[in-house]
Amino acid sequence: MDLKIDITEGIGKSTVKLFGEIDAYTAPQLKEKLLPLTKIERNQVEVNLENVHYMDSTGLGVFISALKSTKENNSELRLVDLQDRVLRLFRITGLDEIITIDTAIRGGNN
Amino acid sequence: METLNTDISNYRNLLKHYIEIRDEQSLYGAEQLSKMFIKNNVPPEEIVNLHIQALEELYPDVPEYFRHSMNFLVEIMITYGIAYQENYSLREEQSQLKSEIAVAANMQETLLATTKPETEDLDIGVVSAPANQMSGDYYHFLEGKDNSIGIAIADVIGKGIPAALCMSMIKYSMDSLPEATMSPKTILKNLNRVVERNVDAGMFITMFYIQYLPAKNKIRYASAGHEPGFYYNAETKTFEEIKAKGLVLGVSPDADYREYERTINKGDMVVLLTDGVTECKQGDRFIETEEVLEVIEQYSDLPAQEMVNKVYKHFERMQNFQFRDDFTLLVFKKEV
Amino acid sequence: MDLQSCVKIEKEWDIVKARQLGRDISREIGFGTVDQARIATAISELARNVYLYADSGEICFEQTDSLEKKGLTIISTDTGPGIQNISQIMDDGYSTSGGLGAGLPGVKRLVDQFDIQSEEGKGTEVIALKWLR
Repeated sequence: MDLKIDITEGIGKSTVKLFGEIDAYTAPQLKEKLLPLTKIERNQVEVNLENVHYMDSTGLGVFISALKSTKENNSELRLVDLQDRVLRLFRITGLDEIITIDTAIRGGNN
Repeated sequence: METLNTDISNYRNLLKHYIEIRDEQSLYGAEQLSKMFIKNNVPPEEIVNLHIQALEELYPDVPEYFRHSMNFLVEIMITYGIAYQENYSLREEQSQLKSEIAVAANMQETLLATTKPETEDLDIGVVSAPANQMSGDYYHFLEGKDNSIGIAIADVIGKGIPAALCMSMIKYSMDSLPEATMSPKTILKNLNRVVERNVDAGMFITMFYIQYLPAKNKIRYASAGHEPGFYYNAETKTFEEIKAKGLVLGVSPDADYREYERTINKGDMVVLLTDGVTECKQGDRFIETEEVLEVIEQYSDLPAQEMVNKVYKHFERMQNFQFRDDFTLLVFKKEV
Repeated sequence: MDLQSCVKIEKEWDIVKARQLGRDISREIGFGTVDQARIATAISELARNVYLYADSGEICFEQTDSLEKKGLTIISTDTGPGIQNISQIMDDGYSTSGGLGAGLPGVKRLVDQFDIQSEEGKGTEVIALKWLR
């Protein structure tokens, strides 16, 4: 399965829209595209996961790397529009408490 | 290439026979010859050349244009032959790698070995199978002086060799814990510090640690971002999810873990697993948690080890005998 | 044939010239059709590396005689970027990359002796020897 990565860069803000699956095969591509955005000082990086129906632990690893990078570069990372299955993964691993996840749009199932 | 001379006469005779009679038997002979060429690693350009030589010996008046065309074919075959030989040596290399990995997998098994506690109190069953040869799943038993039993189940991000290497670290940290009677939250806090110091950003381990306290008929547990387990109540014959929240190991140096406690009664059962179990697929669809529990319940009257074996076999078949991820399932029942 | 015969590699066409010269010489030495084709292919790979990656370079040929056999030595020299990690490019899995040096494991397979020396930023020299069987 493939992963399509659309990036829109604005001033002080980048929006990343993902389509497909994030697994051991596609995670390296995502890391390559996402990390540079978090290295821009004070950049706000928003990742839209509306069209990601499957993610495994290697995908979580990419977001952890990105989070650590935001701490070093005073940038911000925000995940929006997560599918229930993907959101569940962030909840189980406790990562929802250290990564900003915006579930307002989909609501999720609490 | 010593065999080449016999090859030429062999090839020539067979070719002659075929051109004269055109029977199936010579074609079968050709097939055998082809297998022998492969076995002796004869490159394709050499076979084309053999054909040219045989043809010229049989029909000295082969037309000039035909001879040229065969030389053209030789030229085409050279680069093809290199690719063929390269594939051949890559195959050799691959089988060498495979046997090296098999040795490593054996070592891993020895390194990570843990002994199921001999106890009247609990009936414990566990099955752990790697998706490939080496596993990134791990389970471990600790027995305390107060007869408490600690059980850890863990899953490292990714699978295969990198995951396996990372898991050895956990094993040694667990072995060097000062005391087996330490509480689950303290154990996780300790391990988290070790993992955080020793892994790259983006690498992490999930672990569920549960302790059985026979004197109190209680279990206490804590989770570091691990897939939730299940508690089976023998009286109501129902499963409930064991909710425990905590951050995965290796991400934040000062993570704290919450500890939970509950009473466990005779006949009750605790099911621990890794996401290799919950992420089984039937065709294109992920199975639901309820389906996992249904299968477990179906075999719940069996002794724990038989039970997990049956459940494993069930999912193995459902996955066409090819798991996507490492699979670990651990069950214990309170017997008294 | 004691002297070296060389072809300078500047244009793609020079690859064909090097092949032609190498084939003529190997025929004179007495190589058969298949070995001529192997030698020509080896020359192509070496010359293509020079053409694609080096500013300038050449392919030279000389007949090599030992006590009981004779052969052809192909020498490729260039003033290109050099190869940093020779063992990596000589690894079979690398050949599919299509990058600098990708054809070298193939050349090694086509000849009987193969030697390569390279210095980063200065250039590369490859010596390949094929014995007459």
